[in-house]
Amino acid sequence: MVLNVVGKRVPRIDALSKVTGRAIYPQDIYMDNMAYGKTLRSEIAHGYVSLDTSEAEKIDGVLRIFTYKDVPKNEHGVVYKDHEVFISKKVRRVGDPLAFVVAENEKICDLALEKIKVTYEELEGVFDPVEAMKEDAPKVHDKSNVLYHFKIRKGNVEEAFKRCYAIVENTYKVHMVDHAFLQPEAGVAYVDEEGNIVVMVATQYPHYDREEIANALQVPVERVRVINTNVGGAFGAREDITLQIHLALAAKELKRPIKTVYSREESFLAHCKRHAMVMKYKTGADKDGKLLAMEAEIIGDTGAYASWAANVMRKAGVHATGPYYIPNVKVDSYAVYTNNPFAGAMRGFGATQVPIAHEQQMDMLAEKLGMDPVTIRLKNIFKKGSVTATGQVLTEGVPLEECLIKAIEGFTFNIKREEA
Amino acid sequence: MIDIRLTVNGKEYSLSIEEDKRLIDVLREDLGFIGVMEGCGEGECGACTVIMDGKTVNSCLVMGFQANGKNIITIEGLAKDGKLDPVQQAFIDVGAVQCGFCIPGAILSIRALLNENPKPTEEEIRESISGNLCRCTGYNKMLEAVERARRYENGA
Repeated sequence: MVLNVVGKRVPRIDALSKVTGRAIYPQDIYMDNMAYGKTLRSEIAHGYVSLDTSEAEKIDGVLRIFTYKDVPKNEHGVVYKDHEVFISKKVRRVGDPLAFVVAENEKICDLALEKIKVTYEELEGVFDPVEAMKEDAPKVHDKSNVLYHFKIRKGNVEEAFKRCYAIVENTYKVHMVDHAFLQPEAGVAYVDEEGNIVVMVATQYPHYDREEIANALQVPVERVRVINTNVGGAFGAREDITLQIHLALAAKELKRPIKTVYSREESFLAHCKRHAMVMKYKTGADKDGKLLAMEAEIIGDTGAYASWAANVMRKAGVHATGPYYIPNVKVDSYAVYTNNPFAGAMRGFGATQVPIAHEQQMDMLAEKLGMDPVTIRLKNIFKKGSVTATGQVLTEGVPLEECLIKAIEGFTFNIKREEA
Repeated sequence: MIDIRLTVNGKEYSLSIEEDKRLIDVLREDLGFIGVMEGCGEGECGACTVIMDGKTVNSCLVMGFQANGKNIITIEGLAKDGKLDPVQQAFIDVGAVQCGFCIPGAILSIRALLNENPKPTEEEIRESISGNLCRCTGYNKMLEAVERARRYENGA
């Protein structure tokens, strides 16, 4: 078989347009008769909100101010439809969208945003996922803050811990992270000559966006077209809706092309974050360094909205043991609502956070056993035929042992240690 | 409004702009050079880098009127007679381009460096792109591209 691509250096199809500055990102699109839209966002994390847009509407050049009243079905969300397009009553985080001002230019949008009177009735918020799990914690969505609970039960950890020679118990915390892609969110929407709503946006999911727009606007899906432009980095943060529905709604109602470009600051407010997690670990091994049991409770802060939280926290749970065979495992991972910025997909999707815990556990177990940190890993690492905590049999492609040995050969710390 | 004259990519322009208009907006909106990217608007990310009188500047931090009488090169001005600048060609050939948003700024920073210093050390190269944030994390590829570009410039 002749391979045309595999093993060959193939230039990216879009590299030429990108090195010459001709690549089109949504901020690069200018259309005739285009108007601009800007979003009013919540400045508090939890509370009831009401708006008075009457003064702002009087400003010359303001075309329309959209609020929840204008959205036929005021909802969106990749798994659970727990976002509102515009907040109708209660804000749940700083940055929740309240209104969308459309005007002849961006300066007029800014003037109008200042003139909208926002009245808040602030509620006590909850900003720590462990606190949020308590019965009497403020409720972010008028129901339990625990959105999702994933369990793994393998063997009998209680019995196995009794047989352990060394046990290490720790709690690890990791903070939220922003993707900070280079191209802030932007988009242009218009109604084409056949009456279809066209939204040009940099997105990871044009097909999801299309369904979300059609659902919120209550128009048939085939009347919505989403055109993916060049995407200036995404890393998971362009999986949720940001400005797509706002633009589509405005274009549909005003029958003019509408453009929105977020500032860097607004970009931070608008999209999801990597989940902050609290990871409570207990790991035990016998005298020879063989792992016997592990118990983990992993609490993920999904902030005000679910986004991919259930999938992310399931993945964190599935990966909780790390690449090690452990016969007795008990894992509970949770996704919990708080009034923090909402968390969703980001590179690794839940598998990035847990190594901080399971690898530190390994180092500390090695120390307790007076064993080299590499040796304890080699004794427990997944091999071909190993069974994971979820019962998956790894039948092929498990070169971890080889990889670890090779990596160690490349390090010089053993030599340095001897010198010292 | 204020009248300015400036040269961009070898062509002279006279135009009337608002006093508070930034150079990046003059270049993008008035003159159509959309290869000038805006990543942060506060001089941190370097996506809006252009070469002004031989030195790189963040065009989001330069007011339009400050460019009066200046000679500016944007990414659109690097290719000559349909032939890419060696730095552009090298970025393609070593695979230094991912999402592309930082690329025009990074290429211009490297172009400005090589114009002044045709044999930069690795540290000097790293310094030259230290003001160009790349979130896809392609800095090593960019270094490789500089080596490759120097080979192209030497006719290799």
